[in-house]
Amino acid sequence: MIPRKLAIALGVACLLVLIGLGVFAPAHLSEFDSDRVYLGALDAPPFGTDQRGRPLLEYAQQGASVVLFPSLFAGMVVGGMGVVGGLLRCVGSARVDTAVQAFGEIVGSLPRMVVILVVALLIPAGSRGLLPLAFAWAVLASPGAMDEAASVAERLGGARFVEALRAHGFSWSRVFLYHIVLLNLRPVVVRQAAETAMQVTFLEIALSYLAAQENQSSFTHADNVKSWADLLEIGYPSLVLDVPTGHALALGLGLVAVVTVMSLMLASAARAR
Amino acid sequence: MKAWWLRPMVRLVAALLLPFSVPAIITLMIWALPGDPAEIICPPEICQGTEVLAARWNLDGGPWKFFSAWISGAMQGDFGKSWRLDQGGSVYDLLAESVPTTTALILAGLLPLLLGAIGAATGLIPRRVDPVASAVGLVPAVVFALLCAAIVELNYGAQSFDTEGSLARLAFGALVLGFADGAFAGATTGVRALFRTERKQRYVGVALLRGERPLPNMLPNVTPALAGQLRARVLHLLSGTVVVEVVLRINGIGDLLWSGTLLQDFGVVLAAATAFATLSAALLFIQAVTEILVALVVRRAPTLPAAVAVAERAAG
Repeated sequence: MIPRKLAIALGVACLLVLIGLGVFAPAHLSEFDSDRVYLGALDAPPFGTDQRGRPLLEYAQQGASVVLFPSLFAGMVVGGMGVVGGLLRCVGSARVDTAVQAFGEIVGSLPRMVVILVVALLIPAGSRGLLPLAFAWAVLASPGAMDEAASVAERLGGARFVEALRAHGFSWSRVFLYHIVLLNLRPVVVRQAAETAMQVTFLEIALSYLAAQENQSSFTHADNVKSWADLLEIGYPSLVLDVPTGHALALGLGLVAVVTVMSLMLASAARAR
Repeated sequence: MKAWWLRPMVRLVAALLLPFSVPAIITLMIWALPGDPAEIICPPEICQGTEVLAARWNLDGGPWKFFSAWISGAMQGDFGKSWRLDQGGSVYDLLAESVPTTTALILAGLLPLLLGAIGAATGLIPRRVDPVASAVGLVPAVVFALLCAAIVELNYGAQSFDTEGSLARLAFGALVLGFADGAFAGATTGVRALFRTERKQRYVGVALLRGERPLPNMLPNVTPALAGQLRARVLHLLSGTVVVEVVLRINGIGDLLWSGTLLQDFGVVLAAATAFATLSAALLFIQAVTEILVALVVRRAPTLPAAVAVAERAAG
């Protein structure tokens, strides 16, 4: 088990790296430079260059700007829905439980990628972006978060727990916000939010890579912006051909690892004492 | 107390609605997009006779006419024509070509999950394996699939689309589906947690005292939860087929859906999404029926006359 302080430090550090990359992303990539083609990280620090001599750092920055806000937004939506699910269980109403279950059944009954692709069809070519897809993903992930938070609230005692705390003279806000949400739902809600943020990032990489493989525009960003999937696409030939693009693959995988570590550490930091 | 039949009923209703609601939503989307739907197939600047085409493809009478014609055709096995991917070609032919491949991929991908679930339930897979499985499961499907595609290309080269190469792609695709995105880890830890919780029940302790094995006692009671977990796993696999099939170049229904989406081919998307919806509905139906059967057969309390007769026999 990783100590809580270390988990917080690592999680926040990874988040700051992503925010730093995304905030300082250039609007356009640098000009072509045929003298600096496929340079490694040592020859063109910090990450080397692509097939046109442009620094891979700019790919990493633009990719971070593509995923940063939508993934955090999706995480917050799922976290919020988890809180709602937990609090609704504390209300102790059978009708509300049935309505929540029906919502979960209908929303969670289809494969997520199918729904995402159908939503992607609605986005006009001129205004493509990850945000609507991230929101759709968050809605699809919400029933799971609500269900898990509801289970935690039920183990806590549900409506009887609220009643007991009220009998001790605690205010509604203290009972719900402090005792239920902050002390008990926090581990579940933060973990679900962090996992969803990670999944949305991976979704962007997958969708952009699939589009790039077919030489088509991505659903998630404009054509003049590069995604982390472009790093994987540049780097992939190094696995099967004698092309010196291993540094691009390493950078792409490294960024995936940063997102994964961030998600794991934030979830670990929020675990119950 | 909450009625036991409520959850299965919600699932049954959702299962009945799903194959109709998905094409209905896509149909509404076609009309929600700016412009005339017929112009997607036949843009006026490059093609003439848009009105005739619209009439022939049922696009001239609004969404209801299109939907009712499509759904009645689909019930007879006619899924309409492709709008762009194979313009004018039968979507049924495209589906017939891709569904068997995806079915094989899903079944092969399900194999490690079933083995993992059985291993976790019986204790053959120890708990110390869980962290390793979780670590492997952190790898996103697209990265896992890329590595597998590289292995196939390195080993088969130009022959990677021959029979042997295609089988290798399918096998690696199943491997990716089975292990990426936490599929295997979810199956093992989910089943293990389920049985661990159930083992704490009093009846299991009583069964142990009577010299019985716990698994046969627990199995009937955990069957509905297992059915729910199985449904979630299959849905996860279905979702993953899009990425796996495109990256590994497997001609399945996920690849078809992706190509249809990229080219805005609503004919293909409508049929492929409906196929996914029908499969999802079948899974919901199976789960609901399992829950109903368990409730009626396994958990049924003895009826009063029978209970009285048993008591009288015991007293006598």
